[in-house]
Parts: sequence; C-alpha cells; structure tokens
Amino acid sequence: MNFNLFQAKNLLAIFSLSLLSGCNSSTNEQLFDSSKLSRASAEEVEKVVEQFILAEDSTVIEIPAGFFELKTQLILDNKNDITIRGAGMTETVLSFKNLKAGGEGVKLVGNRIKIEDLTIENAPGDGIKAQHAEDITFRKVNVTWTHGRKSDNGTYAIYPVQCKNVLIDECVASHSKDAGIYVGQSENVVVRNSLAFGNVAGIEIENCDNAEVYGNIARDNAGGILVFNLPGLPKADGRGTKIYNNEVLHNNHVNFAVPISDEPNGNTVTMIPPGSGIVLLAAKDVEIYGNKIHENKTVGLAIANYHITGFPMDAPNWSPFSSNIYIHDNDYKRTWRFPDISKEFGQLITVHNATGIGRTQDIIYDGFWDKNLGNAIQSNPMKICIEESQMADLHFSLFDLWEGEENIKSSKDYSPFVCKGQITTDVSAITDLK
Amino acid sequence: MRKLIIVCLLSIGACKQNSPAESETIVAEEVIWEAPAVDLSQVDFSQIPFKNLSEYGFFLGQMKKMIPAEGVLLYEPSSSLFTDYAHKSRFIWMPKGNPAQLLDDVEGSMDFPDKTILIKNFFYPADFNRPSENRRILETRLLIRRNGTWDAFPYVWKDDQTDAIYKVVGAEIPVKWTDEAGNEQVINYIVPNKNQCKNCHNKQETMVPIGVKAKYLNHAITFAEGEKNQLLKWQEAGYLSGPTDIALLPSMVDYRDENHSLELRAMAYLDINCGHCHRAEGPASTSGLFLTYEEKDPLRLGINKAPVAAGTGAGSFKYDIVPGHSDQSILTYRMSTNKVGAAMPEIGRVTVHEEGVKLIKAWIDGMK
Repeated sequence: MNFNLFQAKNLLAIFSLSLLSGCNSSTNEQLFDSSKLSRASAEEVEKVVEQFILAEDSTVIEIPAGFFELKTQLILDNKNDITIRGAGMTETVLSFKNLKAGGEGVKLVGNRIKIEDLTIENAPGDGIKAQHAEDITFRKVNVTWTHGRKSDNGTYAIYPVQCKNVLIDECVASHSKDAGIYVGQSENVVVRNSLAFGNVAGIEIENCDNAEVYGNIARDNAGGILVFNLPGLPKADGRGTKIYNNEVLHNNHVNFAVPISDEPNGNTVTMIPPGSGIVLLAAKDVEIYGNKIHENKTVGLAIANYHITGFPMDAPNWSPFSSNIYIHDNDYKRTWRFPDISKEFGQLITVHNATGIGRTQDIIYDGFWDKNLGNAIQSNPMKICIEESQMADLHFSLFDLWEGEENIKSSKDYSPFVCKGQITTDVSAITDLK
Repeated sequence: MRKLIIVCLLSIGACKQNSPAESETIVAEEVIWEAPAVDLSQVDFSQIPFKNLSEYGFFLGQMKKMIPAEGVLLYEPSSSLFTDYAHKSRFIWMPKGNPAQLLDDVEGSMDFPDKTILIKNFFYPADFNRPSENRRILETRLLIRRNGTWDAFPYVWKDDQTDAIYKVVGAEIPVKWTDEAGNEQVINYIVPNKNQCKNCHNKQETMVPIGVKAKYLNHAITFAEGEKNQLLKWQEAGYLSGPTDIALLPSMVDYRDENHSLELRAMAYLDINCGHCHRAEGPASTSGLFLTYEEKDPLRLGINKAPVAAGTGAGSFKYDIVPGHSDQSILTYRMSTNKVGAAMPEIGRVTVHEEGVKLIKAWIDGMK
C-alpha cells in the first residue's frame, strides 16, 4: 500500500516557504571551543593511529590532551578488553574534518571495549561506529560537527550497531544529520544521563531488543527520542524498550536531513516533523513514563505505524504495526508555537488533529491496526495503553487514515486506550552498570 | 630513513592537498638496485612483517619489474575491484606439499594452509595505452596466513622504486597518468591504513581473502607456457587439491566482457566491488543490502528498498534501486559521488569509476 497523505494541491500550499523556515529553529551551539586547544604534531597524530593499529588484547589507549587532526580512520580490529581514554571531553579532540576515505571516524570491533573522556569532531560519515561488539561502553564521549553548515554534517554521532550489552553514559551528541545517539540491531542497551541536541533525531533505538533510555536530555532536535523498527534488516524486528525520567524539551529544530525545499528521501528520519518529542514507529513492547515532555511544538508523543511512511512493507519476520505500548505518568507542557507543516506527517497533525487547526498535540495515534486482530480501533487491537493523570486536559488525537488523504478523520476519544500495559526489560547483562 | 619518508609524505599531503597537480612531478632518479635472492621456503614467518618488501624474496632482480620468483604464481580474478583506476597484479605463494582445499559452497571458497601469501601490487603506468611501460608502483599489500588466521601487511613503494617499506598508518600519494583517451589525470591516491584492510577483507570480523575463490579464478589466463585455466594451473602447481571437474565449479563473468548479458555483467561488477561488505557475513550486513553474484532476492538486491543508515548517501532518493530509473537510485548516486561519507565503496574511491557507473545505470534502466 502506498499511502501518500498530501500532494501539492493541498490547502497548505498557502503557507509560504519563508514562513516554514521561520517556524523552525536552528542551532550551532557547542559545548566548548575546541579551536583553543593546542594542536598535536604530525608525529603525535600518527602515534594515535598506530596505537589503534597495534593494539593487542587488554591495551589501554591513552590519548593526551590536544587537538588531533586525523586523515585516516581509527579502527580497533576485533580486540578484547580495550580502553580508549582521552584526557577529558573538553581536553582531547579527534577531528576527522580531513578524513580522505572511510565511512566513519572511529570504528570499534571486539569485546569489553570502553571509550571515554574525549570528543570527536566533523567526521564526514558517522562519528563513532561500534559493530559486532559485546560489552561496549561509551562514557563521557562528545561527538559533534562544528562547521555550521549543518546539511554537510555526518549521519550518526554515536552509532553502535549489531552489538550486545551496550552502555552509553554521560555522553553528548549534537548536530548529526540523522540521529545523535543511534543504537541499531542490538540487544541489551542502556542510554542514560546523556545529552542530545541540535540533531535531526536526538536518541534513536532501532530494531533493538531490551533497551532502557533514562535520565537523558533530548532538546532542540527536530525529534527528541525515536523508537523505530525498519523492515528488511538482518535483525528483523525489535522489542522491549523503556523510556523513563528523560527530559524531552522543545525539539523544534529544523529537520536538516534533506534540504528544506526537498521531499523526504528514503531515510525515514527525513519525514520526522520538527517539533516532535517522542516518536514510535512500528515499535513493539514500549513503556514510556516519568518523562518531561515540554514545548515540542508539533506533538509530544506520536504512536505511528509504518504505513505512514508510504514505503513498501513486505519484509520477513517483521510487522509494520506498533503494538503493546504503555504510556503513563509523564509530564506534558505544550507551546504556543505553530506546529510543523514542512513534513507530511506534520501537516497531518497540524491540520487534521481533533483539537483544531494549528493546535499542538500532546499524544497522537495514527490509527492503523492489524485487521487480523480486531474489527475496530476502538477495541484497541494493538494494545496501546495510556494512563496520564492530566489526560482530560491533554490534546489527544486518534486518526483514521485508512481512506487516504481525501477522507482523513480524527477523534479526541482516548477512552479505548485507557488501560495498563505490561512491558519487561532486563539489562542486567550490561556489566558496566553501576 | 623511514621518518624522512613519512615527513616527506605528510608535508606533501599538508601543503598540496588542494592542488595535487603541483606535486606529482616528484619522481626520484631511477636507481638500479637488485634485491638479494631469498629462498621463500626458508623465510622465518614468525619474524613477519619484514621492514622491506625485498626481504620476502617474491621478485627477482630489480623489484619494480615484479618478475616472480619460483613458486610465486600470477593470478587474475575474472572481475576486478575498482581502486581509483590503479592497475593491479596479483601473485600467490604457497609452501610445497600442502594444497588448498576447495570448500563446498556456492562461491567455491578455499581453505588455505599456513604460510600462504597473497601479493597484490598497485601501480599506474604513465600512459594507460602502454600499460607495461613507465609504471609507478605505489603499494603492495600482503595477506599472510599464520596459525590459522590471515593478517594484512601494507607496503608503500619508495619513490625510487627500488623497494617498498612496511607502513601501517596509511599514506596519501599524488599520482598522475594519461588515460586511454589521452587525457591527463591527477589524483591524491590514498593508501589505506592497516586496519582499514578489514573494511573489505572481513567475514564475521575475521580477516579473509576475497579474490581467491573458484568463482573468480575459473577461467584461463596467459602463463609463460601458454593459456590455461587457473584452477588447473593451481592443481598442477600443487596449490589446489584435485583433480576436480572445473566445469562443475562456480564461475563469474568479467564485467567488461560484452559477450555476456547485462544482468550477469552488472551482478559481477556489484559482487567484486560491493559484495565483500554487502553480504550476510560482511560489515555492511547492517544495511540489509546484499550484492553478491548469487543473490536473487529483489529486496536484498535493493529493488524498491528504503535505506537504513545511508545518511547523506541517500541523496534525494527513496530507494536503493528504482527499476527503470538509475537517475533516482541511491546505488548509482553513491557510485557517482566522491564525497567522503556518501561515496561507495568507502575506500579506494577518490575518483568515480565512470565505466562502472555506466554499466550499473544501463542495468537499472533496463529493469522493469
């Protein structure tokens, strides 16, 4: 099914492009000014490269204070019990601005790996990628892009994929063109006490099992925290995510994953409307509680099914539906800022919500469901449970998009979804949790 | 001496990175120096890597002529990975009396004994229409099997072309040539660092060779004594167990050979250029895009498949392959850009392989 919600003929054509860009904010904020650090000599830079190449099991790679300009990737090749340690996030900076070849600045493969106390800047692709790593810790690592031309920024800042037992603790990720902290196709994941800002997506959990995201601040991204399951991957589907005690604040940044005049491309994140707090897409077994979800101008929390993307949905061992979701005890605060109309999904929320055109929504549900599981959404076939004390005051919209853009319906009635869910996650396998 | 070379290379890189044309003329005086003869079978493998390539004894006399020593056997895969238009020559040396075993898989993988050495040289003839003259050799990469595992050892050739020096951190070398059409070409050639070898030579995070599989070798090349199928030659040399009926073994076409169908040529090109990563056991398995010669599943081949972590590599496009529309396909977009982070493959690609792009475009445009 190809579901195109809106075409140019839509009434929204009346909004001009200048108005669009006026509505979305943009930031180049940096934690500190790395240009003031002393520059490492060519020999000192080469020594860092050599340390990675010559590392044996149980090596500690110490990188002293300074600004290191790398022309080649730093790759840890399948070693065990490795610590990579800088002199501090604001002291040791690895810049990949002049990287000549390679998909990421730092690549880590192996078991029981820890990287801490340093900053990675301006990698053309991804900042730090870890793949096939078991027991991997990122601690006090800052990954960013500093040159201000945000459309030239790299894809992911902190990027563990196909890993097991992942801890991301006290890290900072900013200005990435996709997700700042992106954990993909992994199992047993904790992202905590970290800060993500100025990214298209702050924190994203994708096709993962058993993940907990807590104590983080996701602010000033286009979307704050995302839980996605995408089709056609070796790790076909993911389940079990808890998102709690986070601050998801004014994620109203322009979505710079594609130029503002361009249609979204095939990267799902290009469809995220600026002003999105938490977005679930084809997510399974997710509990969201105790979060401050404030001043996200389009929607605080969106529950979506893969149908909304319009992409083909035929993939083995994967379901396009979000199911078994439990949302409770969060704190919502709306904003008077005008919600997004730069993305189709934003237009849907802004124009067709059940509260009124241009009214920020706290919770929306796109309303697709698996028709094998029930005859009507009112029977809550996908087990979407919402228990919020403020519920009567929240802006809630349930959409009906089955009939396409010609006949979009929405309802304020949240009563089918008042229920308790039960989600379990177990991250006790993560050895470095303290 | 080694320091001096490094400093020299770094300074070239630092000062001339935007204008390689000014620096490529550094070609040292030709020095006639002949490598001392080394008996490869007596080499102490525990002392590898040697500082100088000449210490292995692969080549007789002047190193740059790459005249193979006894037992150093030329081989050529049917289709070759593109590496910035570099020309390549490949050799294999194996200890006597211990042939490789053919494995029973679709690619015809081989299990090699310890002390097997694969030797791959990268060079640029000054004039591509006279490929055997005025060659500038840039690097030689070795894959050596010891204690059941492969390891990679990169050597960078000296400017005077007498020898090559072991160098793990990579390098950047300005190089120029005249292409087949008579056009001057200038690039900054990137020698990968040692650990980047595994960006490609990687099967479930274990180092593996790529080109030495039956499917790539099951064709005839010219040896001193005449044309012969390489698998038969290897069997004669005692390098491969046998005899086997080579007609039953897999083989892949040469993507340049227009006698074959566009489909087979395109799949061969994608296999040798992409399939080492883009396969279930490779580093790019994360993408779900699998580009081996044997792959038949349309979604895995990227047909109407949305990307996963392509980032800027997606350009303004939705799917890896849009049948009939190469101009809307991410695959050809990434092959056609040099931007680091978007360019595919990620290594050996400071230039676009125009002929490869043309082939893949024709294949996609012909799809229904």
